[in-house]
Amino acid sequence: MSISMALLSPTTHLPTLSPSSSHFKPLLTHKPFLSLRPKNHPLFTIRASAENGAGALGSVATAVEPKAEPEVPVPAAEAVPVKSESSAGANGSPGTAEEVSVVNLFEDGRWVNGTWDLKQFEKNGKTDWDAVIDAEARRRKWLQDNPESSSNGNPVSFDTSIVPWWAWIKRYHLPEAEILNGRAAMIGFFMAYFVDSLTGVGLVDQMGNFFCKTLLFIAVGGVLLIRKNEDVENLKKLLEETTFYDKQWQATWQEETPASSSKKK
Amino acid sequence: MASIALKSFIGLRQTATEKTHFTMQAKPVSPKPSNHRTLQVKAAKTSPKVTGRNLRVAVIGGGPAGGAAAETLAKGGVETFLIERKMDNCKPCGGAIPLCMVGEFDLPLDIIDRRVTKMKMISPSNVAVDIGQTLKPHEYIGMVRREVLDQYLRNRASENGATVINGLFLKMDKPGDGEAPYVLHYTEYDGKAGGAGVKKTMEVDAVIGADGANSRVAKSIDAGDYEYAIAFQERIKIPDDKMVYYENLAEMYVGDDVSPDFYGWVFPKCDHVAVGTGTVTHKGDIKKFQLATRNRANDKILGGKILRVEAHPIPEHPRPRRLAGRVALVGDAAGYVTKCSGEGIYFAAKSGRMCAEAIVEGSENGKRMVNEADLRTYLEKWDKTYWPTYKVLDVLQKVFYRSNPAREAFVEMCADEYVQKMTFDSYLYKRVVPGNPWEDLKLAVNTIGSLVRANALRREMEKINV
Repeated sequence: MSISMALLSPTTHLPTLSPSSSHFKPLLTHKPFLSLRPKNHPLFTIRASAENGAGALGSVATAVEPKAEPEVPVPAAEAVPVKSESSAGANGSPGTAEEVSVVNLFEDGRWVNGTWDLKQFEKNGKTDWDAVIDAEARRRKWLQDNPESSSNGNPVSFDTSIVPWWAWIKRYHLPEAEILNGRAAMIGFFMAYFVDSLTGVGLVDQMGNFFCKTLLFIAVGGVLLIRKNEDVENLKKLLEETTFYDKQWQATWQEETPASSSKKK
Repeated sequence: MASIALKSFIGLRQTATEKTHFTMQAKPVSPKPSNHRTLQVKAAKTSPKVTGRNLRVAVIGGGPAGGAAAETLAKGGVETFLIERKMDNCKPCGGAIPLCMVGEFDLPLDIIDRRVTKMKMISPSNVAVDIGQTLKPHEYIGMVRREVLDQYLRNRASENGATVINGLFLKMDKPGDGEAPYVLHYTEYDGKAGGAGVKKTMEVDAVIGADGANSRVAKSIDAGDYEYAIAFQERIKIPDDKMVYYENLAEMYVGDDVSPDFYGWVFPKCDHVAVGTGTVTHKGDIKKFQLATRNRANDKILGGKILRVEAHPIPEHPRPRRLAGRVALVGDAAGYVTKCSGEGIYFAAKSGRMCAEAIVEGSENGKRMVNEADLRTYLEKWDKTYWPTYKVLDVLQKVFYRSNPAREAFVEMCADEYVQKMTFDSYLYKRVVPGNPWEDLKLAVNTIGSLVRANALRREMEKINV
């Protein structure tokens, strides 16, 4: 299966056994089904087909990648047209003919052997974890929009737990914690003032009162659980979800008469 | 006094004629006056003897559930009729059976085409995790051909004395009063392919509905509907060198592209692979999901030829009513497919067997008439034994199949050895083992960590294109 054949011939369809809907994602079009050939679409480079010929694609790819892409490609954009391995194989470099080429394979200089090469993320001698997180987010976004075949030659083995816990906390938890604490402080201050002005009970005495402690508990819980307007609905749905399956199972034990009690599990 | 007790568990059928039962029998049931009508399940020892013949039970449907039920009934001395409409039915099915099924049902090892000992879970961003390192040498997931397994179980049933009838169940006349038999209407095929068949009727005392997801027995007892998933599968013959990879390995792909609420799979069969996916909520897009699944597996199935395309509904939860009178549902007809993994063969066979055992016991080996209470003991036993399994799988599905970040976290968690061990233990032996509490705690912390990280990444992803 050579790239050249794919690129030079127009899309020829083999009769398909099952209806292939070509109006679905363009990347998945034209899958002739009698034999699963690589895509005929001339715009796309097919790494997989090269893999059929070359056994050690993984090494070829990694050797080639740093050469071909020195900078990080922005996913939404264009350009990294044709991989050097294909241009090596095909004559008449196809890169010139097509301008659009949305590359359907994720590539990044720092993505090596199915994981991020942390050495390339160093800043001032230490790993820049924020950049790792950004890079991974971009990779996932790319793959979400352009799903790729999972290949045994290039297994992906990245695990988000290599980014240490404090990096996550610093980036995601702390800003939100600041906001929530701010909310709690504001609510607390004004509620304390309000209750004091109504009842004359000072802050220290309020803390000794059971009702006030309950109010405090509700306020803190509310701030923690309801962070956006949608959260109220979400919490209600969540609660219903937890018991829905149980109800479906117990349906057979319910009687039609209202005075029945269902057998609880 | 016994009649009051009987009334309490008759359930949806209020038949006053039950009173006649206790006049014939010496053994009284302890009366529990229940005005508040708690469902109390007691075997009705007050049933009359069936004179001159054994109890007659019809099993509709000859799949794993029907075959197992018929065998147990026949062994127990009950006169059994097994009605199956297509004896060589090649069912669209994953075909995976847990290890315990081989032992519990005495399956011969040559029924198993392949022993899967490795599984690969592939996340939306193609992170691939191998699970199965914790399996011991004798442990495996068996892949079977359904037509082979079903035929074997049916043969065993008929060897034990069941009458296997090739016919299509049409409808059922319910009895007017307590003791009268059920009249089944069915079309019997006389073995000629394409023949129209002969309409026949049969009188039986009890019916086990094992006729699958579109059960007619369920319809005739107003069992209600369930939500169901569509499972769509293509059988693909791939080149031999690629087949080597799937020698004893199955793959599971998760992602929004593959299925919004289920997973896509590549399961090895006898000499080809089955590539498929399923969904509950987006049934109209199933072909798109199938294309995406094939795309994700593209490297490994390149050059394959599609042999067959098949689809089937899979129940998501039990029907509202699994039992009415002396008719019980088992297997897919009852809706006993687990969430998360979509496993049904073992539970079908086991529920068939359990229901049959309840009938055999309630009828004292076919000597007495059974009633609804006897059948309810099967439901009770079933719910008690397998409820934890079903619930845990439901929770797993709700937590880990929700969204792409959740699926990424899921695959990350699968890399953990403790998770693998627990997963396989509970899958292979069908028991929910408590496990080591310290490890459970670590697991909980890691799960939360994975979910938090994956969700944080998703937030980053959303920022990118805004």
